[in-house]
Amino acid sequence: MIMRPGQQQLLLPLNPVFMWGSLIVAMLVNMLPIGRIAWTPDLLALVIVFWGVHQPARVSIGTAFIFGLAMDVQQSALLGQHALSYTTLGYFATTIHRRLLWYPVFSQSLQVLPLFALSHLIELAIRIIGGGVFPGWPVLLAPLIEAALWPVATGVLLAPQRRAPEPDANRPL
Amino acid sequence: MPLGTLDRTAPPLFNQGPSALSKLIFFSALALFLMVADGRFHLVQPIRSAIGTILYPAQWLALKPVQMVLGGSKYFDDLQTAQRNESQAMKALASQAERASQADAMAQDNARLRGLLELRQTTVTPGRAAEVLYDAADPYSRKVIIDQGQTHGIVPGSPVIDADGVLGQVTLVQAFTSEVTLVIDRDLSIPVQNTRTGARSVAFGDATAHSAGMELRFMGANADLREGDQLATSGVDGVYPAGIPVARIERIERRADSAFARIYCVPTATVSGARYVLVLAPAGSQMPRVAPATPEPLAAQKKKDKDAKAKSDGKNKGKAEKAPADKPADAAAPAAQKPAAQPAAKPATAAAPKPEGRTP
Repeated sequence: MIMRPGQQQLLLPLNPVFMWGSLIVAMLVNMLPIGRIAWTPDLLALVIVFWGVHQPARVSIGTAFIFGLAMDVQQSALLGQHALSYTTLGYFATTIHRRLLWYPVFSQSLQVLPLFALSHLIELAIRIIGGGVFPGWPVLLAPLIEAALWPVATGVLLAPQRRAPEPDANRPL
Repeated sequence: MPLGTLDRTAPPLFNQGPSALSKLIFFSALALFLMVADGRFHLVQPIRSAIGTILYPAQWLALKPVQMVLGGSKYFDDLQTAQRNESQAMKALASQAERASQADAMAQDNARLRGLLELRQTTVTPGRAAEVLYDAADPYSRKVIIDQGQTHGIVPGSPVIDADGVLGQVTLVQAFTSEVTLVIDRDLSIPVQNTRTGARSVAFGDATAHSAGMELRFMGANADLREGDQLATSGVDGVYPAGIPVARIERIERRADSAFARIYCVPTATVSGARYVLVLAPAGSQMPRVAPATPEPLAAQKKKDKDAKAKSDGKNKGKAEKAPADKPADAAAPAAQKPAAQPAAKPATAAAPKPEGRTP
């Protein structure tokens, strides 16, 4: 098995329950009724891209579409707006998944920045064409925050797979 | 190390179904279809409410921490805030007391005057109190979610008011919650009446990123409008009851190059941060209809008189039978035409094939 540069250890197999749980928790965080803040980072988009890159066989475009519909209904947005932006995110995650993981983590977050920017641009374009209110320039901050959260997501979401294969008494983790 | 210890799968031998590009095209087309169906044709309400019902437990769960934080912070309000709130409430009560004491007398006067003028009585609109759960997160529109839904009898289109004026209109009803589009949303418009001059117009929502405003469109540059004029619902729309304050004119820009003035208004309701609201039944459902049954007895009496006349009068008989022949079997005739149409029923039924076939 080839170790990629920058990869410290081999990963354990993924627990699907953890993966779906993380997606649902991200959706719940997105659903927190904290008001109408334009620069709120879309955590669900981040987690979808993360699993789309790390587990392209399990999380793909269809999953992204379904979660997008859920977000549309929850936010009372135009039905299909998040679905379209998440669909593109899922597609590009699948496209870059073989290349992205060969880079160190901070370089990865630079490379996912255009994806998040594109998804927010799609939403903005759809709503402005549809006659919506322009949400203000802070909306530009959202993709930057999402890209900055990529190393955090890598740390948190890969933690269960980075445990030792055989736990012993001296090394509980 | 046993097999399956590492996150490693062999590359697939066989085709993995449709390619990513075809999936992208399929789901994008589906999303575009949904958007057009939602934005232009408003066809997706069933899908929306179905997904909303499935999501309700998750929404409820997501609401809890925020409610706990808000509820917890109330405990730490200081004494001064509480006293200030109380004194404000007392002041508001005192200022309303005078009007409230006059209101009964005014209502009696009004009823008497309306009786004299033979105007229809104003309708009493039943209301239902609701609590605003949260602002909808969509930054491109201005909506709030309230805690009353289909199970509480909320119907789409109901006007929503708060203590100060019209807040908006219910645009989507789910099982346990409803979505209220605020008056400042770009998609909402309200027929209003200037309380000073009585001129009617339509106010449109005009929210921008930083302000929450409204706009009166298509008012001529020479229209009689002043800054500070109050706008109230005019009641011509059949949705909002008449006379509820909507907005106040803040600024008027008259331009030389345009036939219309730009009129900026400020909504009187607290559009950001309203907590308790009242959902009214749409005024159209309350309106007394002109019942078709009421003129019936009169018409029947007239008909009887006519029949009696027709029987007694030989000359009239020809006319009475001629009129029926013109409008045969007009079952859905309005009540007003019944005296003429009623005699027609007899010859028409006699001429119809069905009864003839049955009688022998």
